[in-house]
Amino acid sequence: MTQLLKQLLRTAPAICLLMLATPAWAHAPVMGIRGVLGGVLHALLIPEHGASLVALGLVLGRQQQFARRSGLLIFAATLVCGLVATGLAIEAPLASDVLLVATGILGLLIAAAWGPPVLGWPLAVIAGLAFALDSAPEATSTDETIRMLIGSGIGAVAALVLVAEGAGILRADKQPIVARVLGSWIAATAILVLALRVATRMATG
Amino acid sequence: MFRRYLLSLALVLLASPALAHSESGVAIDFMGGFMHPIFGPDHVVAMVAVGLWGAFLGAPAIWLLPVVFPLMMAAAGAFGVLGVPLPGVEIGIAVSAVMLGTMVALAAKPPLWFAAVLVAAFAIFHGHAHGAELPVGADAVAFSMGFVVATGMLHVSGIAFGTLSRWPAGRIAVRVAGGVIALIGLAYLVRAI
Repeated sequence: MTQLLKQLLRTAPAICLLMLATPAWAHAPVMGIRGVLGGVLHALLIPEHGASLVALGLVLGRQQQFARRSGLLIFAATLVCGLVATGLAIEAPLASDVLLVATGILGLLIAAAWGPPVLGWPLAVIAGLAFALDSAPEATSTDETIRMLIGSGIGAVAALVLVAEGAGILRADKQPIVARVLGSWIAATAILVLALRVATRMATG
Repeated sequence: MFRRYLLSLALVLLASPALAHSESGVAIDFMGGFMHPIFGPDHVVAMVAVGLWGAFLGAPAIWLLPVVFPLMMAAAGAFGVLGVPLPGVEIGIAVSAVMLGTMVALAAKPPLWFAAVLVAAFAIFHGHAHGAELPVGADAVAFSMGFVVATGMLHVSGIAFGTLSRWPAGRIAVRVAGGVIALIGLAYLVRAI
């Protein structure tokens, strides 16, 4: 414990300094980067997308191997369906809000350290669809759109697999407490963002 | 070690904050959200006190209280953002500092449920106050993330200091810190009344 505290005190200043630094992105984080890589970055660097992947990954990571991998497959399948729909220019203006709600619920499940497959799987379906429908790229050609959507799919599935399998491996160690705190932060962020969006819509009519 | 700090410092200096999208002087980005709770000393002392008390109580309070606080704070913050009024917010915040500081100073060890309910109740006042001040008009995912992370870091700093209570001298230091927090809260309470 003393050793852990020493390590914490040693690394805390460096972490604090790094947390204080914000990258100077005046616009979207994927501005100027296109193609498959642009899609991958789109999936990973949009904060609400990243948060949803971390939240779903942590919930799936708490489950046994079969349930966890089934959840990953369910997410991948619904993500592909959603990306096809997005490629066909099907619009879903509420996809972003639905994704946030799903993320908030996932965050609460993590904080409560409770996430049975019966809840994790439907949330994987909702998250996969909402994620894909909210991933419409601002591309000028059909080819470019398809490339970016493929990138988004690859990025999202790869990130989710990493988080879920990583959480599964760390499950026996300190992960539960760290995950609970992280889950509460994710849920709190989702609640605040949804409230801000509702208030903004009320203010702007 | 020194190289690690130098690298951190260099990275900090390389990054310039994106303050392009601001409203009423408040940057709507991660940094704006991160700084928001830190600028209110009455909030800061109460959130540090949550961490101190959690560390004092030990597991599972050490992580349960910092989990309960942001969730209730966000829920109350949503009401604040939406303009739902809550009377006596400033008094509630000041009382939270007085009560939590006193709990630490007295080394009080009530049942876990009581500590969780107390912290959750005080989180309502903090959340509502923050929510009412949040800048409406932007899709502020990064802002909200910064806001929540800053709150969590204040708890973590309280926990880090609170772990000193494992040693006799540290225990005294933590209890003195609790007393100081209670006094600061009392000053705010007098001003609020």
